[in-house]
Amino acid sequence: MFRRIRRGRTLALALGAASVLALAACGGGSGASASGKTFTVWWYEDAGNPQDAAWQDALKDFKAAHPNVKVHFERKVWQQIQDAGAMILNSKDAPDLLEYNKGNATAGAVSSKGLLTDLTSEASSQGWDKIAGSALTVGTYNSKGLMGPGKLYGIPSYGEYVSFAYNEDMFAKYGVKVPTTMDELDAAFAKFKSEGITPLAESAADYPAQHLLWGLALSYADHGWLNGYFGLKAPLDTSSDSPLTKAAETIADWTAKGYIDKKSSGMKPEDAWSLFRSGKAPITYAGTWMAGDFRDNIKSFKWGQFLMPGSGINPGSGGNIWVVPTKADNKDLAYDFIGLTLDKKRQDLMANAGGVALHADPADVSDPTGKMVNQTFSQLVSSDGLGLYGDWPVPNFYQVIQSNTQTLVAGRQTPDEFMKQLKTAYDQVQSTVGG
Amino acid sequence: MTTTATIARGAGRVSPLSRQARKGYLRYLLPGAVGFLAVVFVPFLMNIGISFTNWSGVGSPTFVGLENYRRLMRDHFFWSAFEHSIWFIVAMAIVPTVLGLFLAAVLFDYIEPRFGQRVSSVLRAGFYLPQVLPVAVAGVVWGWILNPYGAINAALQQLGIDDPPNWLGDSRWALPSVMLVLVWMQLGYGLVIFMAGMARIDPQYHEAAELDGASWFARFRHVTVPHLRPEVFVVLLTTAIAALKVFGPVYVLTKGGPGNATNVPSYYSYSNFFGSLQVGYGAAVATILTLVVIAMAIVFIRIQSKNEGV
Repeated sequence: MFRRIRRGRTLALALGAASVLALAACGGGSGASASGKTFTVWWYEDAGNPQDAAWQDALKDFKAAHPNVKVHFERKVWQQIQDAGAMILNSKDAPDLLEYNKGNATAGAVSSKGLLTDLTSEASSQGWDKIAGSALTVGTYNSKGLMGPGKLYGIPSYGEYVSFAYNEDMFAKYGVKVPTTMDELDAAFAKFKSEGITPLAESAADYPAQHLLWGLALSYADHGWLNGYFGLKAPLDTSSDSPLTKAAETIADWTAKGYIDKKSSGMKPEDAWSLFRSGKAPITYAGTWMAGDFRDNIKSFKWGQFLMPGSGINPGSGGNIWVVPTKADNKDLAYDFIGLTLDKKRQDLMANAGGVALHADPADVSDPTGKMVNQTFSQLVSSDGLGLYGDWPVPNFYQVIQSNTQTLVAGRQTPDEFMKQLKTAYDQVQSTVGG
Repeated sequence: MTTTATIARGAGRVSPLSRQARKGYLRYLLPGAVGFLAVVFVPFLMNIGISFTNWSGVGSPTFVGLENYRRLMRDHFFWSAFEHSIWFIVAMAIVPTVLGLFLAAVLFDYIEPRFGQRVSSVLRAGFYLPQVLPVAVAGVVWGWILNPYGAINAALQQLGIDDPPNWLGDSRWALPSVMLVLVWMQLGYGLVIFMAGMARIDPQYHEAAELDGASWFARFRHVTVPHLRPEVFVVLLTTAIAALKVFGPVYVLTKGGPGNATNVPSYYSYSNFFGSLQVGYGAAVATILTLVVIAMAIVFIRIQSKNEGV
């Protein structure tokens, strides 16, 4: 669902994305060798982020454990897998193991076409199911490719959630308390606005605004509504009671009141993060993949997190998943590597780097940011409070929601018109595979 | 031009080459023909075949006959994408041709005689540079420039405009903004061709007109432009086709958004192929786009032939 875009990486991302077609045409040019002694693994985590740090460490131990195996690692871009994943998996150049985008439109679609290895029995014999627990939802798909009870095709080794990040110093300076209800959140926004500060740093030219939309929708939703939404049980409800309609209305309201700058519709994620990092905006709505960045780059003030006030469910899930292509040459080696990323050493390492591990030992997490995000994630898991992401039910919904949230934030679309656009895309798929 | 064209056509009717000699030359066409078959013709036929199916890109396609085309006819996203294409023809073909002609004449008639060929060459290279820059790089840089807090808005605020437009984030401004970038990208292409064409015009025509008291603009209008007609046709045809196929700048700058404000047929085809996994439908969009391009090329070439007076 999400993308991680760090400073200075925008260009690389764009170039990488532009080369998708070329990649698709030549199949990436680096698959597993026919000899069966080259282990090829791909992931798209940014160099040095908590997942990458842990997995690079796993790769080191993997090489030591398999001295006769040549290891070939390639770093990809999230968008490459989003656009060309199916073609890569369908080619003879598929790697032995790769990090894949979770969701019906991505992992679900390719699993239903037989392109992914069923990992159900491997997961139970290796004990991965116990380690990953309920986070395994993101890797489980039925025969239609819909997430939910079915076979296990992907193994997450980290978690994530989206929350507000706030500037503790600015809250103290203006006498604003951390909100625990939506009314208090509104009052906090109003206070900053009255001081001439736009409170919420947002980006609607990319994914952050649709995370906010989903976070708001979840605050109005219950698990019954969620199951129907993800299971495509019925056409999209666009009535005024629908959680998504209420969320769209809230965003329109916040934009009208100036809590969100209309200019956010032209801003990329990095623009929003930098407003928060520089202390110009006291609040932003960011995923845990930004926690390490904020920890490393915010030096002039103290920052913290709070979940959507009063909401029992928040955007989040197990992280993106390890998948083993059906055409992989060295599946046993792939299983060995997955095992390494789930062991205690790597899980603790990830948590101490500020990442969300699936089962880090709290006693071994000394990093304050790592402690904060791992504690919150554990709470969300134990309270069944992970609400996944709103674009998962339908292929290309990500793009549909993003471009329409952009129009909504710019004030060029009413919540009604917004919902109509979403309904067209949702109902088209719902009418064929849902019900 | 008329004479040249006549000779060329005459040569086609009564070939000086014997049948045997012509056969000998055919083998040289073979590599090109094989390349055309492999890269253009066969994939195009396959695309047409796929457009009659319902297919997600993997697994087996299901034959659905003309269903995808019927759906296209009532798909307002598809038609609005074509409407945007018309605007992109303005930005990539019409404006760069008109502006390129004028600037080429300024460089050729004014800058070069007064400031020397070197200055004129540097300026020409400057106009051509956007053609050389990879579109992904140029697009990212323009994305920064057009950011709500980017260079253009910073400059406008300096000039006293407090609330400058949100260029790429507002559906009202996004299309004109992408058009502006496309004009910048395409300007150099026509300009270089027109300058080469101007070097071909016999200076006697200009001298005669000048002796008759024609102003610079009158000479531009009555001597330069009519003589450059073949070049104008070539530039208009190739840039109009490029405008219909435009993908890179839209992908990098807006991804068709906000909403569908900058969606174009090739991006719509792509997003159906790779985003919605509706490969059959994407193929139908691509087929219609190809037919429109071919039809436009035929019309242009007919008009060009007529204008050559044959």
